[in-house]
Amino acid sequence: MVEIGDKVLGYATDPGIRNRGASGGMVTAILAAALERGLVDSVIVLRHINEYEAVPVITDDVDEVLASAGSMHTVPVNLAKYAAGRKVAMPGKPCDVRAVFEQAKRNEIDIDNTFIIGLNCGGTMHPVLTREMLVRMYEIDPEDVVGEKIDKGKLFFRTKDGEEKAIPIDDLEDAGYGRRESCRYCDVKIPVNADLACGNWGVIGELAGNATFCEVMNGKGVRLLENAIESGYVQIEPAGEQSIAIREKVNSAMLSLGEKWSARVFTEIPEEQRINYYMEQFADCIDCGACKEACPVCTCDEDSKCTMYHSLADDYKMSMYHMVRLLHLSDSCIGCGQCSDVCPVDIPVTSIFRRFADPAQKKHNYKAGMTLERPPFLEVMLK
Amino acid sequence: MKEEIYQTFCPGCGVGCGLYIREDPEGNTSVDFMKSSPANLGKLCRFGMKVPYHYSKARTMVTGSKADIEDAIKAAAHRMADADSVTMLSVGNTTSEEHMAFCRIAETLGTRVDTGVFPLPSQITSKCGSYPEGISLDEMEKAKRIALFLDPYVQYPLIVRRLLAAKRNGAGIVAVGTKELHLADETLDIGPDRYDELGLDDKSLIVADIHPNSDPVHVKQLLDLAGRCGAKIHFMQPFINSTGVNLALKANGSMMALAQIMEDIEAGNIRTLVTLDSDPVELMPDAAAAVETLKKLDNLIVISSRASPVTELADVVIATEPVYMKAGTFMNVEGRLQENSGSGVAGIDAMSLLNGELGGKRFDYQQLHYIFMKSIGDPGTDVGDVTADKAEQMECGSVDVDNAGSSVPEGMYQLKYLYNPFMWFDQKDDNDFVLIDRKLVKKLGLKKGGMVVLGSENGKMKMRYRVENIPGGMIMTAKKIPVATGPNTIISLEGC
Repeated sequence: MVEIGDKVLGYATDPGIRNRGASGGMVTAILAAALERGLVDSVIVLRHINEYEAVPVITDDVDEVLASAGSMHTVPVNLAKYAAGRKVAMPGKPCDVRAVFEQAKRNEIDIDNTFIIGLNCGGTMHPVLTREMLVRMYEIDPEDVVGEKIDKGKLFFRTKDGEEKAIPIDDLEDAGYGRRESCRYCDVKIPVNADLACGNWGVIGELAGNATFCEVMNGKGVRLLENAIESGYVQIEPAGEQSIAIREKVNSAMLSLGEKWSARVFTEIPEEQRINYYMEQFADCIDCGACKEACPVCTCDEDSKCTMYHSLADDYKMSMYHMVRLLHLSDSCIGCGQCSDVCPVDIPVTSIFRRFADPAQKKHNYKAGMTLERPPFLEVMLK
Repeated sequence: MKEEIYQTFCPGCGVGCGLYIREDPEGNTSVDFMKSSPANLGKLCRFGMKVPYHYSKARTMVTGSKADIEDAIKAAAHRMADADSVTMLSVGNTTSEEHMAFCRIAETLGTRVDTGVFPLPSQITSKCGSYPEGISLDEMEKAKRIALFLDPYVQYPLIVRRLLAAKRNGAGIVAVGTKELHLADETLDIGPDRYDELGLDDKSLIVADIHPNSDPVHVKQLLDLAGRCGAKIHFMQPFINSTGVNLALKANGSMMALAQIMEDIEAGNIRTLVTLDSDPVELMPDAAAAVETLKKLDNLIVISSRASPVTELADVVIATEPVYMKAGTFMNVEGRLQENSGSGVAGIDAMSLLNGELGGKRFDYQQLHYIFMKSIGDPGTDVGDVTADKAEQMECGSVDVDNAGSSVPEGMYQLKYLYNPFMWFDQKDDNDFVLIDRKLVKKLGLKKGGMVVLGSENGKMKMRYRVENIPGGMIMTAKKIPVATGPNTIISLEGC
């Protein structure tokens, strides 16, 4: 019997899934069980293309779910938009989960039909920069890599010949590699807004590396986990006090590191320089619209306020597109970094939007994407 | 039927940006980001974001009526076999393998394939790069001084980040003869006689482009400049496989510029034209004039993956699958060979059948792939991250140039096309305006939100305008417009 608030250690019962999946394959097994027993119609997973690339797919094929096992820190996608309009189960980093909630506030996603297995996240990395980092920092041929993990502040890579090499993440980030900028200052590491909050933090002793710590956050979480247990996909045991304490300790350490990065990135800009700051930041914009398209909380269609008020023929020093979006996203930006990733001229869009949104969100004691209980402060919630 | 996901490349220019095309069970397509793509890190420009609009499927037709593929191939073969001579055009909008198939047909007919780009000069003093594959885009970031002879923001947006990186690395950037660019330290309105003032040396880079409507005189001037100062030149190119087709063709000899082909059609010297994913109506600066010229052909045979104006004019259309579905490779502007995930060979099968009908040998994808790989280097090399290393070094140096140029009469203006992906494919965008200088706004007494009237021998038209700092006497536009008669057109301008 599973109850809300339970904290358990679990793993896939199938040795194949357990070995292939990260931390005992529990997340993969729960997703497969949800699909197989009809809890959902489809599952969102990453179809692996290579060690550095995967593409989100929506599948009703249990085998494809099982084949997706394994974490990929170098695939920084956000899955929320793929859930719209479906009865679906999905894994989700905290930013995926937060985006699902923002979509739900705007009636794009039915939260009751969206089952989310949250994944603890210390951050993701850009695939191309990771390859470059492997050559320059690790002196490893990227093609030789067969696995990676983050543990105790270090980033490990395992190669074909079984060797493992680790470098402290701080060193990597000082050299311009490592986690994406938005991940560095992210302030949600355990997805407590998901239905299940899973990860390897707190898995110790004999189970270390072979099991997942899972916290049951709500009724949907209970259904997900019970379904997986009843179908024989997953086996669990209660998490001990030490496991719980270690998980919290890791979380605190990660949050503390995030705060330091936040202070480093968001240095104060004098009031009289702010307008120039925003104009200069966006001065190289080529009006591609990718930041809107990639934004997992934007629910507007192609014709939306930011695009309709904007014309390439305008000669404003900062386009209406950006001005509208800065305002529009100030109550919904979750800082996921997708806009920065896809910006073709490398504008740090996420940090600019966070800089603009943070004061307003702090003033309203509001953190976007954490709950449906609090409506957006600039608009009416549809739910 | 499930959603299909294709790993492919943006057809908008020669950068070769990796992307995903998602095709839902109803056939609707959308674009998704491929962040592991080394050419673009998943980033896309405005055209790339709108690329699903680009894939309007062509229909197989014979003399204006829908036909099945076998009948269309027979009709095409009949017309080609009966023609005195056949001109074949493939500018680089499809895979290397399809291009090689097209070349096999040319061989059977005893003719050649033209890419529409004029041949480069061969005078020598020093080596300044290679063509058609240029330097790597990473190398662009390491140049100490960069002279830009194009507007990267509008024309090749994915090199903006490379130029900005170069600037962060300490490069000085000078823009020449274009509008004021935010990333440039200075913008100079100078002619070739003053290019030595650019302060370039052997650690510098000249960035320009070569396309079917390039001015060969200007290209020669740039090569001459590079030869004098020792700078490298990187020529951007407008089509997904411009580099591949020009590289493959290098081994086969001469190339004829598109304008020359159109002149020869106009003069009656070319009576049969066969195109492979190349639409002269879209490519030529004056679309209406191009239509009239193509109507003079006895035979216009179009092999195409997409519907476009030329498919409406053609005697025979052999429709192939969209580019994203094709099996095959593309070579980007830095010489990187990239491979589609698609397995479609309908285009190759159609051309194989056509070659057979013409008395040539049939072929398949694997043979063509081998031939292409052999033409660019080691045929045993795996595809995926191959950089062509067999291209000839571009030779720079003292070049005889007809430097007469065209003078702009008093009271008239020069309308310059800023060629960009939307323009090459005449695809709709929010670009129906001209760029004019602030002084001109004052001179014409224009009001905010007003219009200007542009006039040429082709007539008059109204357009919106945007104010920019641009060279005096010049008007620019990123949209193909009816008053233009060439890449540069002398026009009148009035306020309204």
